[in-house]
Amino acid sequence: MTVREPMPSGGRFSVLGLAPYLVLGLVSLPLIILFGWLLYSSFFSRMEGLTPIGGFTLDNWRFLWNPNSVQQLAGRSIWVLTFNTFIFAISVALLVVLISSMAGYALSRLAFPGRRTFLSGVLILHSFPSVTLLIATFIVLRSIGLFDQLLGVILVKAAFEIPFGVWIMKGFFDTVPWELEMAALVDGAGRVRTWWRVMMPLVKPGILALGLLSFVTGWNEFLLPFIFMPSGSQETLSTLVRSILGEGRFVDYGLLTAVGLYYVAPILVLFVLAQDQLMRIYGGGVKG
Amino acid sequence: MQVELQQLTKSFGDVLAVDGIDLEIKSGEFIALLGPSGCGKTTTLLMVAGIYRPTSGRILFGGRRVEQLHPRERGIGMVFQSYALYPHMTVEQNIGFPLEVQRGIDRAERSRRIQEASELVRVDELLSRRPAQLSGGQQQRVALARALAKRPEVLLLDEPLSNLDARLRHDMRGEIKRLQKDVGITSVFVTHDQQEALTMADRVAVINRGHLEAYDTPETLYDRPPNRFVAEFIGDPKMNFMPVEVERRNGSVGFRYADLGLDLEAPVGSTAPDSLPSNAWLGIRPEDLRIVPPDTGDMAGEIYIIEPSGREKLVDIQSGEQRFRVVAEPGFDGRIGDAVGLHLDRERMHLFDREKETRLL
Repeated sequence: MTVREPMPSGGRFSVLGLAPYLVLGLVSLPLIILFGWLLYSSFFSRMEGLTPIGGFTLDNWRFLWNPNSVQQLAGRSIWVLTFNTFIFAISVALLVVLISSMAGYALSRLAFPGRRTFLSGVLILHSFPSVTLLIATFIVLRSIGLFDQLLGVILVKAAFEIPFGVWIMKGFFDTVPWELEMAALVDGAGRVRTWWRVMMPLVKPGILALGLLSFVTGWNEFLLPFIFMPSGSQETLSTLVRSILGEGRFVDYGLLTAVGLYYVAPILVLFVLAQDQLMRIYGGGVKG
Repeated sequence: MQVELQQLTKSFGDVLAVDGIDLEIKSGEFIALLGPSGCGKTTTLLMVAGIYRPTSGRILFGGRRVEQLHPRERGIGMVFQSYALYPHMTVEQNIGFPLEVQRGIDRAERSRRIQEASELVRVDELLSRRPAQLSGGQQQRVALARALAKRPEVLLLDEPLSNLDARLRHDMRGEIKRLQKDVGITSVFVTHDQQEALTMADRVAVINRGHLEAYDTPETLYDRPPNRFVAEFIGDPKMNFMPVEVERRNGSVGFRYADLGLDLEAPVGSTAPDSLPSNAWLGIRPEDLRIVPPDTGDMAGEIYIIEPSGREKLVDIQSGEQRFRVVAEPGFDGRIGDAVGLHLDRERMHLFDREKETRLL
């Protein structure tokens, strides 16, 4: 039993209590410094190590209001790129959630020939590094005329994410008692209605978590848009960051940090808002 | 709605869960499927519900074959062991769900029927709650209301009382029985509790290892069990059995169990078969045995243990190799180790074939 007493200043008790925080703080210090530096340097014209040089400036953020001053934007508005990125991420998330929840339900509930083989096949697909499939994917995209189009990249990204999603959703469906489904069938609902009205609401934590996770990986995706949309007509933010980093001899680090910060900000906000849902993906289960 | 099962069979791979069950349920009748766990009674119910498809055999509702029909085309309501209420819906939505998925029921009619069903089982005060906010007994009532809301022709109940505590179970037993009679709906319920089956059902189907062992009224099953399994499974405390030698005498039958010094003669009616095997099981219920002073009665023994239960005392008597359970008066004052005699009620003895275990007398 613990009795809370006022902590004597500098006493042993308070030192012991602080120890875990100190250790954790030390370990995460590099990360904190990293983010701090990113934030800090985006408001100064130059940094030398951790020291800012030159005065405070908003000049690095000029891409927000003056696209023409940033060569890499090539006259396009940052908002268009943001919109592209958003469309990309949200489409991937919706596709992954929709297909995974239907496939996961089928794998969890229906007995069909080849079910086990299919399940292990899905697992193997998930462990396939997408890089190894780039050439094959390129050929497929070319042949169906979706190369260099956002839609094509969306489909490819969703396809890479779906195996993981199917397993996650199957796990969530597995936790829903059979009797609930039987009850729905006896109550007169068909398979589809049972899935939609009874099963889906009960795996909502899984849907939210998977949707968020897919959105985040979509938002962060660099390789696929970079390779499969070379013309940049529907460019996303990740490739913009790359082009700022990679063009010319002098990298504008001020601009890079500002764009980088702008790029990660929505994800940070999302994580803060949705951490409960995200953490449930590995907890699983239905709350009764 | 009259329900009939003909040679109903279900196997899961190599396992034969239900083996050729024939059952006929009259319209408005309340029957119990009774048996030990794993005997196939729930599988039978789920086939009637349409969740499982029979491997072979027929299911007829009012003469119409239904075994290929989807559950929703059968006009059934069902209460599950776990109640299976939809956790994300309120009580009102739960009861309304079967109506919502049915065509031709408008909003007004739906809420009228929800009201009606919830009043019937007295949950009309709880309509806005969610299942997690209800007690076990209330969840049970909501499950009943949901099953009855669409006015099904057949009501199926799978172990409806086993998740309730003992006292509540007793109350609900009576309530469900009364409700069934009030609504007049043909009902089938599954239970492993023989007392539940006897007290609630009009007729009881005893199932063992997928076979139908007996199907009759509770009184008949108790008074004249058709085989040893039923005799042993029905009745608490259990019936006593002993191996006896049988001798057909003129107008009576003699029973001998030499080890215990048992030698008695019982008159038999005209229904008795002419020839009886020479070896058989003699069964007698604990309440049909009487403890008498030593050296009187039909056989001798000594008291092994006494269990008072308030209304009566349950006494175990050791007699040779055999142990008999006897229901004694609450005033019985014997002690462990006392020598006693046992008297058998001649009118209430059961005789079963030693091999086939079917009833002889």
